[in-house]
Amino acid sequence: MSRYDKITNNIDWGLLATTMAIMAIGLLCIYSAVRVSHISIFFKQFVWIGIGIVIMIIAFAVDYRVHLRLAWPLYGMMVLGLVLVFVIGREISGARRWISLGPLSVQPSELAKIIMIIWMAYWGEKKDYFEGYGMKELVLPAIFIFIPVGLILAQPDLGTSGIVGMIALIMLLLLGIKRSTFITLSALFISILPFGWLSLRDYQRNRIFTFLDPSRDPLGTGYHATQSKIAVGSGGLWGKGFLEGTQTQLSFLPEHHTDFIFSVVAEEWGFAGSALLVFLYIVLVTKIIQIGHKAKDRFGAMLCFGIAGYFTLHIFINMSMAIGIFPVVGVPLPFVSYGGSFMFINMICIGLVLNVSWRRFIF
Amino acid sequence: MDHNIPGQILEEELKGRAKYLTVFVILLFSILVLRLTNMQILKGSYYEGLARNNRVRVVNIPAQRGKIFDRNHEILADSRPAYNVMVIPEDIEKISDVSQRLSIILSRDQKEIADKIREAKSKPFNPVYIARDISFPQMAGIESQLFSLPGISIDTSNERDYLSKEVAPHVIGFLGEISRKQLSKLEPEDGYSPGDLIGKSGVEFICEDILRGVKGTRAFEVDALGRKMRVIDEQPPVSGQDVVLTIDKRLQMIARQSLGERAGAVVAINPFTGEILAMVSSPAYDPTVFLTPMPAEVWNGIIGDPLHPLENRAIRGQYSPGSMYKVIIAALAMTSKFITPTDKNFCPGKYTLGDSVFRCWRKEGHGSIGLVEALTVSCDVYFYNLGERLGINRMSEFSTELGLGRPTGIELKDEATGLVPTVEWKRRRFGQPWHKGESVITAIGQGFTLVTPLQVAKVMSGIVNGGKVLTPRILASTPQKLETNFNIGAEELDVIKRGLLSVVDNDRGTARAIKDPMFSIGGKTGTVQVVRGLFSKLPDEADLPYKMRDHAWFFGFSPVENPEILVVAIVEHGGHGASIAAPVVRDVIKGYYYSKGLSDEQVRQDNQ
Repeated sequence: MSRYDKITNNIDWGLLATTMAIMAIGLLCIYSAVRVSHISIFFKQFVWIGIGIVIMIIAFAVDYRVHLRLAWPLYGMMVLGLVLVFVIGREISGARRWISLGPLSVQPSELAKIIMIIWMAYWGEKKDYFEGYGMKELVLPAIFIFIPVGLILAQPDLGTSGIVGMIALIMLLLLGIKRSTFITLSALFISILPFGWLSLRDYQRNRIFTFLDPSRDPLGTGYHATQSKIAVGSGGLWGKGFLEGTQTQLSFLPEHHTDFIFSVVAEEWGFAGSALLVFLYIVLVTKIIQIGHKAKDRFGAMLCFGIAGYFTLHIFINMSMAIGIFPVVGVPLPFVSYGGSFMFINMICIGLVLNVSWRRFIF
Repeated sequence: MDHNIPGQILEEELKGRAKYLTVFVILLFSILVLRLTNMQILKGSYYEGLARNNRVRVVNIPAQRGKIFDRNHEILADSRPAYNVMVIPEDIEKISDVSQRLSIILSRDQKEIADKIREAKSKPFNPVYIARDISFPQMAGIESQLFSLPGISIDTSNERDYLSKEVAPHVIGFLGEISRKQLSKLEPEDGYSPGDLIGKSGVEFICEDILRGVKGTRAFEVDALGRKMRVIDEQPPVSGQDVVLTIDKRLQMIARQSLGERAGAVVAINPFTGEILAMVSSPAYDPTVFLTPMPAEVWNGIIGDPLHPLENRAIRGQYSPGSMYKVIIAALAMTSKFITPTDKNFCPGKYTLGDSVFRCWRKEGHGSIGLVEALTVSCDVYFYNLGERLGINRMSEFSTELGLGRPTGIELKDEATGLVPTVEWKRRRFGQPWHKGESVITAIGQGFTLVTPLQVAKVMSGIVNGGKVLTPRILASTPQKLETNFNIGAEELDVIKRGLLSVVDNDRGTARAIKDPMFSIGGKTGTVQVVRGLFSKLPDEADLPYKMRDHAWFFGFSPVENPEILVVAIVEHGGHGASIAAPVVRDVIKGYYYSKGLSDEQVRQDNQ
């Protein structure tokens, strides 16, 4: 057995193939969405995928246990980035989310997702409690979770901060929380919910209102939701066919190459296409969870579970948005939505999972 | 490793909890699949419909409304396409730029246009008209620049032109926007939509289905910005059919001019066919004001006008017939053999019935007179006597047979019925028995009887044409309809006609003032006391307050021998029929001859 074979045989090709299949669907839909007005976006997505593959290989090649040592430096970098957003960030429609590093635009809140997964996995590896996390043990992680979540919320970016918070929460739950603590915290959460509502920005509240009743303002805030639902529903069982989606082609759907790409899938490929995509995602996520199961160490397992949670939340929120069971919060669909930063993060995730999968045979 | 044992257990616990993660994931994805099944498979066709509406805009192409012509095919109401400039405020970004371009093409004030657009911005998706009915070159100018005028479009509509606005508004009627109530009653396949114009009165109303035509539709695909991508389907409109009236526009105008500003009505009819040649009601109104939504003041001004300009007095005005009724009594007495042409009756100036005394309008009395003379001088006593002898039952029966007390049956809507009093009617209405004295005054047309000008035209036609009661008609397409024929004998008809001729022709006739050497007119005056029992002590009726003055009636026909035209005129509060209403009738008859293009000599010969 050559060294090459040893490397390749232990790679989870199924995971890779599933990812590639999803990306292929994404490319078809982006082509359909932008071919008339902005075909350059389609070609750019190839570039992002190309760079993404390189990043994935790096994330795969470097032993993931390095991140145990990098957890705190990464966390520090993340906080710095999130603070910098307020200092030198570009303001786009009322929110500061981007910082420019030379020719590159970076969205620190996107990076925060993967860094928090690494940091939480690190925390789980280091602080294991036999009886589960109690109130006392939760104080520190709660603070470290709150810092990025709060900073992202202040940008303001409700969607991303929610996702970061929920990933951390899922990972905490997986680490195990004492029953009594869990009940107390749940009660506390429910009681502060109303205050959370009060702290929302007007446009965020409007989004929630129109989510509850899109007809309230069909051409305003509810426009996305209504148009997207029409696109999805009118796809029917078999869809209108590639490049035949009227909603897509006549640009009734804004942002249909980013946040509303699923509407394009559903409209042009119908229930058959969207169910296939959902199926591929289920394969992807369950595979990641399985890899977590087989991981040699707690850190690797936590990484995989965190990443599985991360993908699940994105997929669920994004699709729910498109089919009108979740407010419009601006969460893209992994491997399908257009966008460089997002693609890179997802590729890092796949790289890390392959990494965990591959290295279980090493030690 | 030190923590090997508990670490192992912790590992197992973690992986155990990961099962919940799997369950969580499967649960979320199941929600997605269920929702997708519901939307795409179960409700797919519903959303498909929405998607179609989304991208396909269907606009109506208005059908050209049929024109309305007079009997000589002269246009009374014209129809033509009009071009309007419409704007969807949302699609306009640079108001200054668009308004400047428009102001150059339309040669209007830029600020005015800009203000209109700015005002409309409050409802950004509501199309608003910037200019209506622009000229063809202006339309072409905008059409050629449409690409640099986002949000602007040209919309065609149908404009109604009432060429001679106030000449026949009551006959032609008017169009107005369809009301919500009307819309709710109609079926979708009737093809009306909000904002459509619909006939509200007159011929516009009764011939709505003929005139309106069938709307066309144009379906085109639009993108999210409302830009027209391509026309998918087009169904051309079908123009409405024209309607030809029996009205003669020239007579109509003459009647209108002759009546002038005075409140009243004129009806001209062909007594042998029932065709209405002219129908005028005064005061008139401008039918074009109803085409567009009008300010409340204007509407209130029309509705609140004490003279009720919207009312078509020719078919809706109900008046006592006055002495014109004597013609009916004469016909009744003759045909039922109560009198013979030679019978004479003495008029001492009053008529006594029990305790009551009924005066003749001429205190001195008319002496011994026959029927012809009684009609000529409009002797009251002569007819008091006939009234008493005939009795109310015979009079009301005959009146009803002639067509009084019910709509004449003309095509126009909302006709008044008038009133033919009967014994039964009085008991019902007042709970009192009929008095003989009431029969007496009924005979001279001053009782309870009410008639409309059109009823008078119908009934008098029926008498002068020898007993054939014809339904009056205003649409050329309506066939002639004979209601009854009570055959007045030639001799009896001759007596009545002689009497009516001498009303004008005789030196003692009540309408001798309108005598014209050119043609013969037979007719009868009528004066309706508005305030009962008011005997003016004033030398001139004009000194009385307007509301208390008598109504003046006259009906006349010509030529007497073989009538071609019969004209009824009423002037409300005009005073005496002879001096006020009769000249209107003469003017119309005169106009009739002249419009036939006959020379004076021919007219004279025809009338000999």
